[in-house]
Amino acid sequence: MADFIIAHLYPELMNLYGDRGNIICLQKRLEWYGHDCYIEAIPRGSKIQFNQYDLIFMGGGADREQKLVVNELIHQSSELKLEIEQGLPALFICGAYQLLGKYYESSDGMQIPGLNVFDFYTRKEKNRLIGNIVIAASLRGQPFTVAGFENHSGRTYFENEELRALGKVISGFGNNGQDGQEGLWYKNLIATYMHGPLLPKNPILADFLIETMMNRKGLIFKGGLDDHIENYSHEQTKKRILG
Amino acid sequence: MKKIALIIAIMAGKFASCLSRILGTGGTSIPGKIALRLYPHILSDLAANISEEIFIVTGTNGKTTTTNMLAEILKEKGYKFVHNSAGANMITGITTAFIKETDWTGKRKIDYALLETDEANVPLLLQQLHPRVVLITNFFSDQLDRYGELNNTINLIKDAVRDTDIELVLNADDPLVTHFKNETGLHCWYYGFEATNYDKLQGEASREGRYCVFCGQELLYQRFHYAQLGKFCCSECGNQNPESNFTAHSLILTPKIEMKINDIEIRSPYQGFYNAYNILAAVSLAKLVGIEDEIIQKAIANYEPRAGRMEQFEIDKRKVTLILVKNPTGLNQALATINTEPTPKAIFFALNDNVADGRDISWIWDADIEQITALDSNIEAIVCSGLRSGDIALRFKYADAQVDRIYIEDELQSGINKALSVAADATYILSTYTALFVCRDILLKLQQESITSADLIDQKQKSSESQG
Repeated sequence: MADFIIAHLYPELMNLYGDRGNIICLQKRLEWYGHDCYIEAIPRGSKIQFNQYDLIFMGGGADREQKLVVNELIHQSSELKLEIEQGLPALFICGAYQLLGKYYESSDGMQIPGLNVFDFYTRKEKNRLIGNIVIAASLRGQPFTVAGFENHSGRTYFENEELRALGKVISGFGNNGQDGQEGLWYKNLIATYMHGPLLPKNPILADFLIETMMNRKGLIFKGGLDDHIENYSHEQTKKRILG
Repeated sequence: MKKIALIIAIMAGKFASCLSRILGTGGTSIPGKIALRLYPHILSDLAANISEEIFIVTGTNGKTTTTNMLAEILKEKGYKFVHNSAGANMITGITTAFIKETDWTGKRKIDYALLETDEANVPLLLQQLHPRVVLITNFFSDQLDRYGELNNTINLIKDAVRDTDIELVLNADDPLVTHFKNETGLHCWYYGFEATNYDKLQGEASREGRYCVFCGQELLYQRFHYAQLGKFCCSECGNQNPESNFTAHSLILTPKIEMKINDIEIRSPYQGFYNAYNILAAVSLAKLVGIEDEIIQKAIANYEPRAGRMEQFEIDKRKVTLILVKNPTGLNQALATINTEPTPKAIFFALNDNVADGRDISWIWDADIEQITALDSNIEAIVCSGLRSGDIALRFKYADAQVDRIYIEDELQSGINKALSVAADATYILSTYTALFVCRDILLKLQQESITSADLIDQKQKSSESQG
């Protein structure tokens, strides 16, 4: 049996824009740290045992696919919420991020219910928020930047003041293009509009997820990979955006 | 008054073309832009001079090669036609092409117009002129950041052709294309491939069009040619490949493409399955125009690969191949072709993220780069270049390429020099659109220099022989 198992939720529905790069990144880095990692694709119609997995991942999808996914997962949303509360590492990108909220309002005012894991909602608007993005985040008091690409028509608004964003927008749009916040970081769950994919050129986030995965198994994370290409790519993207 | 405005706009456009030629800038869209500003009806006025027919070629991949091949056939036949040849496929570039072919009065009669058209520009173009045929090659995720999701693009085109008397020429193997008939009711012609020796039974993980457009059921495939192109059917509603009017069979891809289209034997200096589709599309249109088989055969056989479409160079006795890449499907096809090369090779990849490249470069993660980094693949070096050199280097690294063989050289010239400096018999130069012509110029110059220096050595040897 593999040391780690990642659940890739509904890859046949939610796989826009190179999202699988995040999975490739986690799997390879775990391998380079000396652990094998199995990716289990979760198809529609499965009953998911969330506690069997070391991390769950879901990528972005178009409106139709999002609706299908909510219908799949709505029966399991309380289990999902419980596991997240207990520290299950998770990465939700773009459309997957949106459906963690209370609802998604389409441009004609129709409300599609979400999984209601967090107190936020998303409203679709006509013009899309598209472009490179850099945000400022911090981990254990250490500031760092996250660089990526966003492309979304939904605007996400937090309704609970205690919800913490992944970071503050330095350049780009973020959750709604207004309040300067991007993404959501709750315990070991990261949700974000940054696809691109996110993890390969943001190795701090990749290692955060890997470290929590290892710690939950009682393993000590030592780090120490040669990240010069990762860092080069990160800095190049940042320079491209900030000039 | 209208006539004067037209003439002024043509003169301005022609003047801008001249000027950009003198200045040595490409100038494929600016003349059209200026002329449209001066006289917005210029395109519909000039299109009225087409005495036979107008053809529009659109879709994600293969527009340029398909239109170029058809142009070669029309040229062989001796027709006069308008053709936006440089991949300038927006309204402005198409207007430039019309201005180039017309005379000062805007009245010269021309037989055909052959318009490669960007998917999102099809509706706009159809407001200006009335084609007989719209050919749709295929739909893949490409530069999604410009138009949002793929479905939007498809719907834009569908709405634009609905309630017209346009005939559609459709790829019968692409489920994202074939449904145009049901939803527009237009007369459709189809082209497609029978089973080939290159087909696969399994599809790629991240392919498009996985679900039936009518009922949402997952499509069942008997075989895949590549990506979502293949023999499909829907178990729920019976949606399946329509019968082809132009059917390709007996396909051979290496060393060069050979196949039969209905009963016409075709040989081409091109490589790759995607180019076999381009040939099939061009031949289908040529048959609809009524061009004789011998003329089609001759034109296709003589048509050599153009800028960045597997274009060959020889530099210091090395085989160098330039390939334009812009989306996962095209890149997968390019890598599959590289994999057929048995000798040690070097790869150079210039990744830019300007608007014409698509600003979102995440598509590189959807390509199956892993197919080329397997241990026995003989890759001596991977040189990563362009504005997003870091991203493509990372993609290769996470595809398990040997890290000590990945080099980052942002600058194109030094990157190409690096790729040519390693010991390898074959070098592949992959590039996105906005770096392509710079790379090409560098390769042409290096090729010229290597010929000149070979001549010099030759001369020296001759003179020393004659002295001896």
